[in-house]
Amino acid sequence: MRISKAALLVVIAFTVPILVELRTVLAWVNVELTVLESVTLGVAMILAILVWALWPENGESGHSSTR
Amino acid sequence: MSNAYIDEFPAEARIVRAAFYSSFLALALGGVFGIIQTLHRTDFLRFMDSVDYYTVLTAHGVFLVISFTIFFLVGIFTWAITTSLDRGLEDIRFSWGWYSLMAVGITLTGVAILAGFTDATDISASVLFTFYAPLQAHPMFYLGLVLFVVGTWLAGADWFRSWLAWKAENPDERIPLPTFMVLTTMLMWYIATLGVAVAILAFLLPWSLGWIDTVNPLLTRTLFWFFGHPVVYFWLMPAYMMWYVMLPKISGGKLFSDPLARVVFVLFLVLSVPTGIHHQYLDPGIAEGFKFIAMTNTMFLLLPSLLTAFTVVASMEHGARQRGGEGYLGWLKALPWRDPVFTGMALAGLMFAAAGFSGMINAGMNINYLVHNTFWVVGHFHLTVGTAVALTFMAVTYWFLPQVTGRALWNRSVALGQVVLWFIGMTFMSNAMHRGGLLGIPRRTAEPQYEGFEFEAAVGSVAELDAQIALGGVLLTLSLVLFFANVIGTALNGKSDSLPANGYAETLSGPEDAPLVLDNLKLWTAIAVVLVIFAYTFPLLSIIERGGLFGPEVIPFPLTLESVTTVGIALETAATETVDGATLALVGVIR
Repeated sequence: MRISKAALLVVIAFTVPILVELRTVLAWVNVELTVLESVTLGVAMILAILVWALWPENGESGHSSTR
Repeated sequence: MSNAYIDEFPAEARIVRAAFYSSFLALALGGVFGIIQTLHRTDFLRFMDSVDYYTVLTAHGVFLVISFTIFFLVGIFTWAITTSLDRGLEDIRFSWGWYSLMAVGITLTGVAILAGFTDATDISASVLFTFYAPLQAHPMFYLGLVLFVVGTWLAGADWFRSWLAWKAENPDERIPLPTFMVLTTMLMWYIATLGVAVAILAFLLPWSLGWIDTVNPLLTRTLFWFFGHPVVYFWLMPAYMMWYVMLPKISGGKLFSDPLARVVFVLFLVLSVPTGIHHQYLDPGIAEGFKFIAMTNTMFLLLPSLLTAFTVVASMEHGARQRGGEGYLGWLKALPWRDPVFTGMALAGLMFAAAGFSGMINAGMNINYLVHNTFWVVGHFHLTVGTAVALTFMAVTYWFLPQVTGRALWNRSVALGQVVLWFIGMTFMSNAMHRGGLLGIPRRTAEPQYEGFEFEAAVGSVAELDAQIALGGVLLTLSLVLFFANVIGTALNGKSDSLPANGYAETLSGPEDAPLVLDNLKLWTAIAVVLVIFAYTFPLLSIIERGGLFGPEVIPFPLTLESVTTVGIALETAATETVDGATLALVGVIR
């Protein structure tokens, strides 16, 4: 893992404010997302974070930090 | 045998524990009323009459922002004084005295509020946290508040007594930082509570007892806000103290600057009180000039908050680098995210930054008109007291509870989940509240849904905002359930010998780098008093001159036919004189 499980939890939690504010920000440039689209975008963001976090770094053998 | 707080100060640990448990009881009650009103207001679940909504709202406000916060802070202030001076309280019976006075006071106030739910008694106090006249509560409500506040005054006297005793033995020593923070906060509190003391003792309590017939609502309102804004700092300064003296230690480092921390607390002492009128920008009886002065003072208050943001983040970075963190942002990964004490405080601090931005909107005289008395304001204070303060207090509970009970924390993973869930829940809720406020949705309204009129949302719909608020409320309630599971689990845990030692963060730049004048508490208090006199003398005089001490003159209702005739003649004469005067003026203008 690239980051600890606890740090991963916090990073995922951070997607929530980004997501709820992003909807308003996008509306400024005339991109209006429905709730369903926002949720889909959120799931995609979380999946991307999970892939990034869980993907082994070069030379790493699946060691998990306990910080 | 560990070196936990309870081992060093067993008698004081009992007081701190009692204060914490009182605080948690209030948090539980306030939380229950929170979810009830959230679901009622958003129309997801209405099982009570809308009239009772205001009783629920009063209970939610008073239990959370008066009892939860203040009981908790007297606990950590007692810890701070005893730990940093390394001495017990001077007379533990006196300490139990102030705690008991606070407990009796808030019980009276709480009973007066809760009695509003039943018709079995005529006691009620559905006057909301601000108890504005002409809303009138039962005398028990006001009396309870008086006792509670007097209890905090005595607590302050107890801590000053400890400091003076310590000073007599250590005349050349600098005031230890945690003690300095407690003393400056209490000095601010003594000044601030004078306003509410006068409002209650001179006007509202005699009025509720029937000793006086009327009050001047603008006067009591202004006296309330004399106290009502600085009370925010009474909640915040203990949270700041935790960020200064605990967060660096938990991060694995040292506080970046002791002198800067002292400057911040001095600024809060000096600037907290002369700002209250910024809550009254839309009150018609106060001249714009006075409001402008209040706005200027308020904007100066951003300075200590920005200094805090810098110092605390610098201290965290220092801690992370001590733990092997590298790079411009890479050090963030080295922070102890697994520790709920750290993560809770870090997330609370982050949300406080957002609260600062919405606070600037509130404080700006012109732009305040856009959001005044709307849901925006509710979103704002759920980020300040509802997150910066409440989340910090819950997070540090995970460190303090083992220290004052001698029992290990029940479950650290549940604690971590709890603080993260609070962050997520509050994000949903406060975001929608702010956005709702921008649409003009009012605060303090049981049913903000109107026939023949709909608020127009810029993005999405009002129904979506309501759903977001309800979702946030449910997540916050779940977070509270996890918190109480941990508190109860810890209280039932066996005694532990392996608790971390009691203590607080060391400093990179210590008190020896701070100018001596910073410790001159008399000087800063005098400046604070002078600023309060400048900010409040003329507005108060003007309010009394216009409306009188006890409000407009009471004209007896005419009960006889003769008096009706007399009043009729008087009115006719007055009207004729007015018309004559207006005619003359008009003629003058035309000429």
